[in-house]
Amino acid sequence: MKLAPYRKKSPWILHFNAGGCNGCDIEILACLGPKYDIERFGMINTGNPKQSDVLLITGPVTKRTRERLVEIYAQMPEPKVVISCGACACTGGVFRGMYNCEGGVDQFIPVDVYVCGCGTRPEQIIDGVVQALGILEKKTRAMEESVRLKKEALKEGEQINRRHVAGEIKPALT
Amino acid sequence: MNGYLLPVLLIILAPFIGGLVYGFERIVKARMQRRIGPPLLQPFYDFLKLADKRQMIVHSAHAFLGIMHFVSLWFALALLLLGADLILVIFLHLLSSALLIMAGFSTRSIFSHLGANRTALSILAYEPVLIIIAVSLFINTGSFDAAAAFTSEEPLLFKMPLAFVALLLVLPIKLKKSPFDVAEAHQEITGGVELEFSGLFFEAVYTAKWLDYIFCYTLVFLFAGSNILLGIGLVAGTFLYLNALDNSTARVNYKQMLRFSLGIAFTLAFINLLINSLT
Repeated sequence: MKLAPYRKKSPWILHFNAGGCNGCDIEILACLGPKYDIERFGMINTGNPKQSDVLLITGPVTKRTRERLVEIYAQMPEPKVVISCGACACTGGVFRGMYNCEGGVDQFIPVDVYVCGCGTRPEQIIDGVVQALGILEKKTRAMEESVRLKKEALKEGEQINRRHVAGEIKPALT
Repeated sequence: MNGYLLPVLLIILAPFIGGLVYGFERIVKARMQRRIGPPLLQPFYDFLKLADKRQMIVHSAHAFLGIMHFVSLWFALALLLLGADLILVIFLHLLSSALLIMAGFSTRSIFSHLGANRTALSILAYEPVLIIIAVSLFINTGSFDAAAAFTSEEPLLFKMPLAFVALLLVLPIKLKKSPFDVAEAHQEITGGVELEFSGLFFEAVYTAKWLDYIFCYTLVFLFAGSNILLGIGLVAGTFLYLNALDNSTARVNYKQMLRFSLGIAFTLAFINLLINSLT
């Protein structure tokens, strides 16, 4: 049974505030409300990295949240995508260069989609998530391809081994 | 033979029906908040997506306990639908929850521990009421069997109305709905015991929730006796009541929950038992 089409139908979002002003967080919550209602597309805002597909980061990375961010990213099972949401998460924004601030998210973990704005508009966030789902599909295809290639290589190796045992291939150094 | 056909079909299809109930519930809840809500088959989409994620397990016993939680819950549901001893069914359900609690305590995650603690507390809150209801059933029908309730001529609702009210009061605890969802507490302890499950193993816990819906609505259905129309009415009413309650209340803490369920729901069920046994 092909499971690939269902990946796009239930993206579970993990929302992480890396130290922003809560402006973008409020916009994300607005997406869940009656006006934008992203649950129509099966998106849920889970608080659990182990069960989510999309990591939505707001705010600049501070010295305190840096390790937590990387840890949360590592806890998410593949396939996963990362969206940096808002000017601060993309580049550091107005907090860039401050003594407690490290800057954009992409210095620490790979970011797939950058959503601009201060704060981001809910329409932009939804658009970003839709784009991220496209990337999610591409990523999983690439993963499947690599797994397939590995399996084929293993099979080939096995065959060579068998022929080697049967004496069809002479060892190179004798 | 004919009598067994419907229960067996229900048992086999229980996860599917439970999934549909959950999907419908999400739509109803969304409509109550003036949203459109996800498609009806959304729980199954989630199911298929989770099957495709990379498996990450904490340790094998943890994953095994999660799966056994699902299996034992299904077994308890099967016995209930086949009309077995209600006390046995309630304790089997307790066993399935105990397996989940053990899974919660077997990891090192603090949230998982908190969730397991709170699940144990919520069992303490609803279990006595269920036992009292089973005893009231015995006094009214002369048997602990659920089959006696399914076939009773006069609906049990009219014989033990207070017990039904008590059941309605503890059902939100059992189904982890607001205001009694301390065991799950989504943004507070991020799911409690289910926190450390992921991928295929989370699916077992996720699907067990659907089975729990069927289990609880069957308990409600018991009160209608052989009157099927009344039973459907009761289940539909309970469904709307649970969702309205879930949407309109905020979470209380575990002390308030225990005080409420043991103070009010248990007392109501006990008064009902006294009245039944005296008359």
